[in-house]
Amino acid sequence: MSAFTGTGTLIRFALFRDRLRLAIWVVVLAGLTAVSVPTLDEMFSDPAERQARAALMDSPTGIVFGGPGYGLDDYTLGPMLVNEMTMSLLMAMAVMSVLHMVRHTRAEEESGRAELLRAGVLGASAQTAAALITLALAHLLIGGLIAASMVAFDLPVPDSIAYGLGLALAGISFGAIAAVCAQVSEHGRSAAGLAFLVIGLLFMFRVVGDIAEQGGNVWSWLSPFAWLQQARPFDDLRWEPLALYGVCVLVLFVVTYALARRRDVGAGLVAARPGPAGAGRLLRGVFTLHLNQQRGAIVAWAVAVLAFGYAFGSLTTEVAEMLDSAPELAAILGGDADDLVDGFLAVLTTYVVMAASAYGTLSVLRAWSEENAGRAELLLSTAVGRVHWFGSALAVAALATALILVSGGLGLGLGASVALEDAGWTWRTVESSLSQLPAALVFGALAALLLGIAPRLLPLIWLWFGYSLVATMLGGLFEFPEEFMNLSAFEILARPPMEAFETAPFLLYLGAVLLAGALSLSGFRDRDLVTA
Amino acid sequence: MSPRNAIEVSGLDKSFGRFKALDELDLTVRTGEVTGFLGPNGSGKSTTIRVLLGLLRADSGSVRLLGGDPWKEAVTLHRRLAYVPGDVSLWPDLTGGQAIDLLGRLRGGLDARRRREFLERFELDPTKKARTYSKGNRQKVALVAALASTAELLILDEPTSGLDPLMEAVFTDCVREVKEAGRTVLLSSHILSEVEKLCDTVTIIRGGRTVESGTLSDLRHLTRSTVRAEVDADATALKDLAGVHDLTIDGATVTFAVEHDHMGTVLHELTALGVRSLVSNPPSLEELFLRHYGDELTTVDGAGNKGKRS
Repeated sequence: MSAFTGTGTLIRFALFRDRLRLAIWVVVLAGLTAVSVPTLDEMFSDPAERQARAALMDSPTGIVFGGPGYGLDDYTLGPMLVNEMTMSLLMAMAVMSVLHMVRHTRAEEESGRAELLRAGVLGASAQTAAALITLALAHLLIGGLIAASMVAFDLPVPDSIAYGLGLALAGISFGAIAAVCAQVSEHGRSAAGLAFLVIGLLFMFRVVGDIAEQGGNVWSWLSPFAWLQQARPFDDLRWEPLALYGVCVLVLFVVTYALARRRDVGAGLVAARPGPAGAGRLLRGVFTLHLNQQRGAIVAWAVAVLAFGYAFGSLTTEVAEMLDSAPELAAILGGDADDLVDGFLAVLTTYVVMAASAYGTLSVLRAWSEENAGRAELLLSTAVGRVHWFGSALAVAALATALILVSGGLGLGLGASVALEDAGWTWRTVESSLSQLPAALVFGALAALLLGIAPRLLPLIWLWFGYSLVATMLGGLFEFPEEFMNLSAFEILARPPMEAFETAPFLLYLGAVLLAGALSLSGFRDRDLVTA
Repeated sequence: MSPRNAIEVSGLDKSFGRFKALDELDLTVRTGEVTGFLGPNGSGKSTTIRVLLGLLRADSGSVRLLGGDPWKEAVTLHRRLAYVPGDVSLWPDLTGGQAIDLLGRLRGGLDARRRREFLERFELDPTKKARTYSKGNRQKVALVAALASTAELLILDEPTSGLDPLMEAVFTDCVREVKEAGRTVLLSSHILSEVEKLCDTVTIIRGGRTVESGTLSDLRHLTRSTVRAEVDADATALKDLAGVHDLTIDGATVTFAVEHDHMGTVLHELTALGVRSLVSNPPSLEELFLRHYGDELTTVDGAGNKGKRS
């Protein structure tokens, strides 16, 4: 078909361009899994420990980050791997898929490079096909290596293959979702944002379904996150659910193909309309300009976090019910039902804090892209001082972080209030999330500090951010030592409602954040502007 | 009260790491004049302008802009100037009109009538989002914002590099009007005809150093005219005259370059040979430019010494 002319060449080109990038993904994902197999085996060596762990995985938090809980009755190495690893692997693969697809489709078009290629002998859908095929190759390699590492540990061969294949197919499905999003949106960044939003929703579908009913209900089956575990590897293997991935990829690819045929190169499906001929009264300073630029993103993040909070907050009924019906679970987890609700909400609050700090950091980094794009130069050539410009950017970032934090807390609280029929929760969770304000601001403040003093070191931010996420999400599971846990920015403060709020650490942490902000302003004032 | 010189730069040094971008650069822009700032890519024009705007800090040397220090007094000084970057980058989701208003407001006000006038003259649609603009249209946005301001100094960094010839002509008219209104312009450019048309004085830099500066006639004075003549007698003797270069003889036609200081004696000799026709071309800026950047000029320092470096 002429729409795919040149796909082969593009595949080789993409593999060449991304040889390092893809190699890192493959090595990290397959390597981490291969290392986890013996680690998990050693960590829970005696059967009693394994069953205690299984009980934990049957709790709501366990379901959110574990899965529907197949194989918990006999929690041997196979089921343990499936329950403990799947969600983290799928999330990482989703990130990899979205970045890869957008990078090779919409971002190429946006930069104008696609125009150069399309002027040659190249079909309209060749870029999408090449991106999806290279992605599939990488995922199949990851899945294959993971399956091999399981077989090497004497796990049943068919189940290992099913698991590896399922992971790869799920990864490819996320890529197909991103391919559709790249057709709809005109910009690489918004295409990736849209894809992450859709994938986030699909994750929630599975969580809601799995929590509502043991083994999941119809909501779960709507989500690619569910099908892999519905194949029940290492429990009672059935292959049919994996076929859903094939159907999903096929349908999405046909949709992408149809959309690509309907539009011009470079254009989105929604045509750009003329805008106002002059600036409104609001757009008169750099603060309002920063706000204007981020308006859409701030609202989207706040609403998404609010919805996330509400969906998870309303699960607290299930938490309470589960504990009522299984008092021994409460005993194993150490505490009564109220403690567990508090613990559940504290964990969710931490996720809200992570989301808010991610936005805050991205928002500060926008100042860096403005500087690199030369737009800061244009503004600073007017009667706008540097401290004014950069300070406004930081103020917008801080306000947006606080807003996202509060909306997440509000969502959690509303959900919990409805579920537990106690309106008091609304305020309590908002309070809990605000008690983490310094932790939410710290990455943005550090990004600002580096931007002001040593912008070349900016990527280091993501290193610490990534470490903090991993330590806080998985540190408990892998029993990180105390001093390693404390290196996570999210572990520094007490976590209400589970723990009591402490004023002194809060003020100290906040003071450090403000100091970093002040130092960043003086650094930015005194350094050369980075120019194109 | 404006100082006599809007811009005074002397002995300016600026390094990025080990790379010396500016090396003892001198630049003077007299108030009320249009000064051309010429140099090839990477010669330090934009770096100089960014130092003038207080975006980069000078390593050493003295820099005065409108009588002030551009690094310390950036904000106050910027109220009095308008800048058009060489590569204009705008906010993709703002329209051109919004960007013009924003830049004007941040500079301290915009004349609505002039804004309308320049939008019309540059045929710019202000309702389009910046992401749909071509390079030339983005440049027009910055030009309209700068020209519609009441700033006393305009700093223009290769402002016509994306414009078509028609728009270049509009730009030329606009700069003439700006000059008539008594405003000062620093115009960095590659386009020599533009500089020749517009500028009162020219500064040429290369490798971060000023190699030549002065009025156009000052600079022409330093160079050679090309002379072509038909003569009756054998012209080989001209070769030995001081100030004559590149002599070629093709039958009766003789062509050579002559240094202006020696023009009198050469003409005298030529008359003696029996001149039937004579054409003499003054050097164009292109030739000036080539002298500084062309292969012929291995002795840049020699040329620089002849210039008005002080």
